[in-house]
Amino acid sequence: MTVEQATAVGGARVGAGAPRGETGRAGFLQVVRVIWMREVLIYFRDRPRMISAFTMPVIMLVMFGEGLGNSIATLPGGIDYRQFIFPGMVAMIVLMNSVFSGVSIVTDRQFGFLREILVAPVSRSAICIGKISGGATVALVNGAVMFAIAPILGIDISLGVVIKLLPLIALVSFMLTGLGVAIGSRLRSVESFQMLSQVAIFPAMFLSGIFFPINNVPAWMDVLVKLNPVTYAVAPIREIALSEQLAEIPADAPFQITHVDWYGYTLSTWEEIGIVVAFGAIMLTIAIRAIRTTE
Amino acid sequence: MVNQPLAEAWPRTRPAAGVLRARGVNRQDGTVPPSVKVSGLTRRFGDIIAVDGISFEVAEAELFGFLGPNGAGKTTTISMLCTLLSPTGGRASIGGHDIASDAAGVRRKIGIVFQDSTVDERLSARENLVFHGELFGMAREDIRPRAEQLLERVELLERADDTVLTFSGGMRRRLEVARGLMHWPSVLFLDEPTVGLDPQTRRSIWAYARSLRDTEGVTIFLTTHYMDEAEACDRVAIMDHGKIVALDTPERLKARLGGDVVSIAGPDNAALAREVRESFEIEPRLENEAVEFNVERGGDFVPVLLSRLESQVQSVGIRAPTLEDVFVSLTGHQIREASFSQEDKFRSMQQRGFRRMR
Repeated sequence: MTVEQATAVGGARVGAGAPRGETGRAGFLQVVRVIWMREVLIYFRDRPRMISAFTMPVIMLVMFGEGLGNSIATLPGGIDYRQFIFPGMVAMIVLMNSVFSGVSIVTDRQFGFLREILVAPVSRSAICIGKISGGATVALVNGAVMFAIAPILGIDISLGVVIKLLPLIALVSFMLTGLGVAIGSRLRSVESFQMLSQVAIFPAMFLSGIFFPINNVPAWMDVLVKLNPVTYAVAPIREIALSEQLAEIPADAPFQITHVDWYGYTLSTWEEIGIVVAFGAIMLTIAIRAIRTTE
Repeated sequence: MVNQPLAEAWPRTRPAAGVLRARGVNRQDGTVPPSVKVSGLTRRFGDIIAVDGISFEVAEAELFGFLGPNGAGKTTTISMLCTLLSPTGGRASIGGHDIASDAAGVRRKIGIVFQDSTVDERLSARENLVFHGELFGMAREDIRPRAEQLLERVELLERADDTVLTFSGGMRRRLEVARGLMHWPSVLFLDEPTVGLDPQTRRSIWAYARSLRDTEGVTIFLTTHYMDEAEACDRVAIMDHGKIVALDTPERLKARLGGDVVSIAGPDNAALAREVRESFEIEPRLENEAVEFNVERGGDFVPVLLSRLESQVQSVGIRAPTLEDVFVSLTGHQIREASFSQEDKFRSMQQRGFRRMR
């Protein structure tokens, strides 16, 4: 009889700590859950990070909304600029939180904890999905807080719309955290992650329609806007958030303030979401690949 | 150097027979397969051969040590056995699981304490253990009691819910040992477990490792470049330049040298060495600014030696051989040359918590 069999047959081991249950291989979802838990736990312990994540968009909203808003002519359909920029701000906070949460994989590597995860007999995809879900949850929570403070800032948004928006924001968070983890999984230092993610975030932010309507820009910028994956995340968020107001825009308005227009073909909200899903899937694949080839 | 205390403080122990039996190990019937089995294991990095066709076996519940200087290939070997690095040649299995074809099987069987800290500083000690338990697919009802039991063992129960950020280097190490044992591995790998720790903490780490071996029958496989740690092992493999140059119990390794180590020093050591060589037909070594050689019954030999030497002798020493002497006689160089390197100093700073400032 081999040791294996004997242990399996005998079952009992010595001491107070002998296992009562089966010590087997952790299931896929169990791994996703435990990795996710850790990300969320660490986030909610990091007070300064939480506070800064909340204050930033409020500052931006007030500055842009009050400052810029007053000097911008009313948008087609009589939509107030603050009303217009609010869904953009939600998208922005989700973008920043999502991408930056990819830093966790870099710190894990730097402090050695990634090795603890990688020596476990678990699926690499589960590790990746757990990481991404964790970061996405943080981003989603931050996005949701924006809705909670919307009435204080004088933004008019109904509960029904918010409920419709949350699953979409969860999806967008997942896609963008995928981008963050994909960047992070290849880097070894927090500094280089910060540099690289800034380089990725800023153009993506300004060329995504967060601050201005995408269908009223010069031709060269138009190309960049349409190549930017974040554009397809911002558009559906705004379409749902402003669904009531948008309906009032006349068809012969000088330009439509949302819906990506592919040179004559106007994408529907669902088509835009489809692009978000596809981009998310690509990011996930890249991140899993990178984790697999680590060490 | 604290040489003897470790071995004295923790005299060699054996796991209770019942422990092994409960694990299905019966030393009498001779059918127990070795816990770790390695044959011809090789790892190349380009032109460099880090590990050069090594073969050995480790028995169940053995305390097995890999002794060698930095860069001898110890960590590379451990990385291969832990399935973190794939070998470029040879085979190895742990608990019957092949490291190449059944990595997941191997990983379930082993616990690892890395050279550098791999605990999450932002989690509490308990959370680190629970996380590990869940990741290794432990049954829910086992995780918390097991964490509790191990924290008590390594005397961290009172600090169980503090974040690791507040822990000293020694506490972190203890936590890592506890974590490595969380999922009832049959082999625990300790890669330089006490580098950068103070002597007292080193002893306590050893005590925990020992007691866990004795009560749970876990095989302990460690690498070290500290002689006193190697002396405390059941068997030691001496490694140099990727090869195992000797493998035996510390006692037998030392017995190989024969007799005692006599060292003499004077103003002209080279002349002394020449005289020893010519008049006694002994091959001396020039070491520690002295002339050293091995003879049977050193105490009787020294008066004869002194009466015959013509060069001036200023000091004489006689001692029992250490593993250091064994290492020198086998490899022709000292192990300590590279031992307390800059890297070690940096590591010990990190252990003390300077890492946070990075």
